[in-house]
Amino acid sequence: MTALPLDPKDGGGRFPGFDAQGQSPHWDPVTQGVVLARLGRPTDLRFFTVAEEATARALFDQLLGQRHEPRVPVVNMVDARLAEDQTDGWHYEDMEPDPAAWRNTLAELDAEARERLKRPFAELSWEEQTLLLTDIQAAETWRGRQTSRVWSLWTRYACTAFYSHPLAWDEIGFAGPAYPRGYKNLGLNAREPFEVADARPTQDPAAHTAKSQTGRQR
Amino acid sequence: MAPVKDRNASAWLLPPVPGTNHAMRTDMAQFRDEDEVDIVIVGCGAGGSTLLQRLARAGWKAVALDAGPFWDPERDWVSDEAGSHHLYWTEPRVISGDDPVPLGSNNSGRGVGGSMVHYAGYTPRFHPSDFHTYSTDGVGADWPLEYGDLKSYYEDIEGELPVAGEHWPWGDPHSYPHSPHPVSGNGELFLRGALACGITAKVGPVAITNGRFGNRPHCIYRGFCLQGCKVNAKASPLITHIPDALHHGAEVRADSMVTRIEIDDRTGKATGVHYVRHGRSRFQRARIVAVAGYSIETPRLLLNSASQRFPEGLCNDFDQVGRYLMVQGAPQTAGRFESEVRMWKAPPPEVSSEDFYETDPSKPYKRGFSIQTVSPLPITWAEHVAAQGHWGAKLREYMSDYVHWACLGALCEFLPQPDNRVTLASEKDRNSMPVAHFHYSQCDNDRQLMQAAQGAMEKILKGAGAEEVITIRRFAHLVGGARMAADEQHGVVDADCRSFAVPNLYITDGSVLPTQGSANPALTIMAVAARAANRLIAGGPSKAT
Repeated sequence: MTALPLDPKDGGGRFPGFDAQGQSPHWDPVTQGVVLARLGRPTDLRFFTVAEEATARALFDQLLGQRHEPRVPVVNMVDARLAEDQTDGWHYEDMEPDPAAWRNTLAELDAEARERLKRPFAELSWEEQTLLLTDIQAAETWRGRQTSRVWSLWTRYACTAFYSHPLAWDEIGFAGPAYPRGYKNLGLNAREPFEVADARPTQDPAAHTAKSQTGRQR
Repeated sequence: MAPVKDRNASAWLLPPVPGTNHAMRTDMAQFRDEDEVDIVIVGCGAGGSTLLQRLARAGWKAVALDAGPFWDPERDWVSDEAGSHHLYWTEPRVISGDDPVPLGSNNSGRGVGGSMVHYAGYTPRFHPSDFHTYSTDGVGADWPLEYGDLKSYYEDIEGELPVAGEHWPWGDPHSYPHSPHPVSGNGELFLRGALACGITAKVGPVAITNGRFGNRPHCIYRGFCLQGCKVNAKASPLITHIPDALHHGAEVRADSMVTRIEIDDRTGKATGVHYVRHGRSRFQRARIVAVAGYSIETPRLLLNSASQRFPEGLCNDFDQVGRYLMVQGAPQTAGRFESEVRMWKAPPPEVSSEDFYETDPSKPYKRGFSIQTVSPLPITWAEHVAAQGHWGAKLREYMSDYVHWACLGALCEFLPQPDNRVTLASEKDRNSMPVAHFHYSQCDNDRQLMQAAQGAMEKILKGAGAEEVITIRRFAHLVGGARMAADEQHGVVDADCRSFAVPNLYITDGSVLPTQGSANPALTIMAVAARAANRLIAGGPSKAT
């Protein structure tokens, strides 16, 4: 598979030639099995209904900025987790367990799109979807729920799927599993022979934001 | 002190290569349910495993039940973040309160070895002041024992894990059996920033071998400590106490979920435990029962063991069970450097500072916090970035900058409060047992500590040259929920971990801690359990009954 499409202004191409997957011969067999499976055929959907699938695909594309193929198959990965009830187990007293929370919040997202723009969320233009999500994120509550809890549910599952994929590791310079090999060169600006230096070290995403920011785990 | 090998030979019973001594498990003792064993221990984590090893060595017929699997690190663990979800306790639970605490990840464990399978490896001692915060500072609680009562147990356990670090200047100053590990870019920046700010920072204390220890190899600095150490370098009871326990005739019965402790209403004593194994309900008879299920599951089990004598739940005559449950405020602050830090290389636990641990009379809050390196892997780092509100292209751009960030974490001493507690929910699990409901709210002191800790971390990172800093507010660790106290009106167990209500029922896990300091709790949980074991052994297997 080729690299994921990512515009250089969004951080694409900072590690030219870096190939996390190329390190797989140095991984232990059990880890190879787990990680390389993510590169194979995505599992068929079992959890999401057709309508939920459409909304979820559009939502994940937005949350992870995946506008073009090849994509990390986030919708299949999240579907598999929910089908297998591979959740963290806990739920808020005033919110459903994760599988039901997913079904219900996807339905709410679709309902929000229909109310505002008379079309399903998945049928909105990229810009319309972005605006809708921006509005939702900015509000304290959304359709009777604390927004932060919904947003956290969505981004947690999205990020866990996306950043478990070796193609995502390629664009952040992370070589993945490190057993039984380990690392030899620790310290600032120290690299292993297989690591690639950042080609644009001054591309600081935080440069034009406040010097100190705070968020919260949900 | 006797050489480690003479008191705990675990490291010498492991194979000389990474992996497990499978023969020890297949040849392990197997008690029958109808045998009245000397002790049945519920839970095989830090507390339960330590107790098991001590009692087995003393010749007790001891069996430990664990709800999760008996891990085989080579087969069961991977060097991968998303692939390690099975290390956590992910059974259903309900959370509420003003500051609900997410569970099922960094603060929960599962299987033999417990949370220490995936803890970072930090093993600081508590400070002497931690044992009497109420008398000294008017907050928290006084323990029914003092630091001096635990000191020799701290030393013992530090030798058995073993712990690596510089000479420790804080609390009761002490040294460690293994010398400090080399540090990565993340640790280097912490040391540099601390120096620039006049803050003392030290390398350690981490329970990771620095050099060969028995048959355990040197750490290979692969950075996946939180995914279970396949190398056998990072300590967990699975490799530090279980092998020696098995060698001395103990049984570890995995995949066994204890659902109720049986009490004989006539004698008021525990007679054994009901458990479910492989779908079948069973009952293990025992002369003594010790519960070591940690701060959520221990209260849940007691509350679910109501009987005629204990209508409100076992040991709950004074409504103490489940209360005073604590989490530590654990904000993480990351700083951006033009240099490449690559913080994921090397173990996340490297460098700590306890300069802010004690009450500072010039501050409006009591007690304090510690600061340590943490080094999130990509998924956890994405959560840190997403917590700032970034998503879409901005999230990807931040993530592409991963190599440039260093990250520190604080542990804030949140105070024990009676209403922060576990109760039973109406929802049930697959064993038809009511699930735990954990209600949690911070107090003002907690919030002030969280803010102060963030300020200190920002200062250190900027002192090291960080251009920008971003913080995620989160929680770590659980302790309390069945605390020890001077009497039954203020706690569930005494200083020896013996329950006030039932003479042959013990609780030997983190739930007995009345306060938590700003220290990672594993070492103290083990020390408290080792002390309880010593008291039990001194009494002999029959004395407690």
